[in-house]
Amino acid sequence: MVEESSIFGKGFTVRGGDFANAGEVSCKVRNILKEIGINSDIIRRVAIVAYEAEMNVVMYAREGTLSFEVTPDRIKLVMEDEGNGIENIELAMQEGYSTATDEIREMGFGAGMGLPNIKKNSDDFKINSIVGKGTRVEVTIST
Amino acid sequence: MSNYHSIAVKEDKCVGCVVCMKACPTNAIRVKEGKAVILDERCIDCGVCLWACPKQAIIPLTTAYLDLMYKFKYNIAMPSPALYSQFGKDVLPNKILLGLERLGFDYVYDVAWTCEMTTAAIRYYLENLKGQDERRPKISSTCPAVVRLIQVRFPELTDLIIPIDAPRELAAKALKDRISNKLDLSTEEIGVIYITPCPSKMISINNPPTREKSYFDGAIAISDIYGSLLSYLRDLEEDTVLQQSSGVGIGWAVSEGVVNGLGLDNCLAVAGIENVNKMLEDIESYKLKNIEYLECHACPLGCVSGPLTVENQYLAKSKISRLIKMFGEQSRVIDEAILQLWEEGYFSSEKKVAPTPIPPLDREPRVAIEKMKEREEIIKQLEGKECGACGAPDCQTLAEDIVQGKAEITDCVFRLIEKAGVRV
Repeated sequence: MVEESSIFGKGFTVRGGDFANAGEVSCKVRNILKEIGINSDIIRRVAIVAYEAEMNVVMYAREGTLSFEVTPDRIKLVMEDEGNGIENIELAMQEGYSTATDEIREMGFGAGMGLPNIKKNSDDFKINSIVGKGTRVEVTIST
Repeated sequence: MSNYHSIAVKEDKCVGCVVCMKACPTNAIRVKEGKAVILDERCIDCGVCLWACPKQAIIPLTTAYLDLMYKFKYNIAMPSPALYSQFGKDVLPNKILLGLERLGFDYVYDVAWTCEMTTAAIRYYLENLKGQDERRPKISSTCPAVVRLIQVRFPELTDLIIPIDAPRELAAKALKDRISNKLDLSTEEIGVIYITPCPSKMISINNPPTREKSYFDGAIAISDIYGSLLSYLRDLEEDTVLQQSSGVGIGWAVSEGVVNGLGLDNCLAVAGIENVNKMLEDIESYKLKNIEYLECHACPLGCVSGPLTVENQYLAKSKISRLIKMFGEQSRVIDEAILQLWEEGYFSSEKKVAPTPIPPLDREPRVAIEKMKEREEIIKQLEGKECGACGAPDCQTLAEDIVQGKAEITDCVFRLIEKAGVRV
């Protein structure tokens, strides 16, 4: 068990369609991890996960939360959103598969790398989705 | 570790107001016992505080002009291309270079020419990078404040700094070697002096991030020699041609100058330290993966707006645009010659820029986490007015200083009043 005193956690709200602020949460997470003195390779992986998760909410959901928890041994990120959910998770996990609109693609987003990228940078990855309700992704990265 | 800094607080002039502290983009200033104090590990030498200070209490540590001239047997002046922007519209670069000669320098070199060569080298480097699986964008190495910002705040991005050294450093090395051979003088007898628009160039002289040792012996502020130079320009006969550069080299004085000279797709320029900071954050967030090259200047319009310049920055910029038109956007360098110099390693930085990150809250992550929680708790107790009266630039920074034992909660005026039992 990790002592209560050495867990730091924070939650952020991400709004769907808010492209202007996209990337801010991952930037904040990154700065906190820098202040804690987490190794820069780990920070990079956490930031990729946070950024992709944030973008998924911005692109596909109405609203979502991203919370993270850091202990000296691991970083845990939980992303939950209220949205359409994912019909076929297996398909969504394939690189290059995307349901993004043409408009989103024109902005350089929606390349179908989001979830695969999150998984690639995680040590532990769990995904649950209910069509019509939303998606929950839980990621752990060991430090 | 102690870093060299190119600015200092003049205590007798400092009144302990909060203006510089509030202006500092890296939260590197505190007001302690009524005087501004610059924090070594956070300062990036951008010079924003120099502009901000209403009392001229922050001074650049450039070299005094006369000190240098008597120190060496042979003096070489190397002006930043920004110097060309500082005089009336009919005063052209060659005249300015000759003016420097009259000022007492034994040799004056047109650094803009090395800039022009460096543009060609950067193009060659970027073209060779095409199709390679390398992290992007490559970031310019010229502005010392930007390089230090990356070292301090974006340690992961130091790898992206282009491994081509700043033209002034390249020119200083080449010239010192050449003159020493030609005149049979030892390198110690030759003084190579930069004529600078900003104090931050002093970093690359005293503590260069891209090489073991700089070939410069000092830098004189444009503002320090402006008056004397102006008087020499008045009746100057232009009997020699010292200017070699075209508009491509001269363009280095302004933001976008390098990018325009490169003429490649997917190259961007950003200027102004806050804008650069935002851009680097975006790079950290992988937003600019498709950009090949990023030209960065800490000053808002590029070097022409450096804190040690004299002319109005917008006029200075337009003067450079005029010179670019006049001397053409067609590079005068010979590609084969650049290629040969490239192969000889002429353009290469001697060493990679090393990260020097701001230390974490504690070396021990467990303790750092505790301190982080403590900081969050303290922030809740503060007023959130961001007034700076405590001597820290904002409430979060005060909270951090308290956690680190460098400040107390009663440094906050609101908490002090409360403690004193005064009703407001």
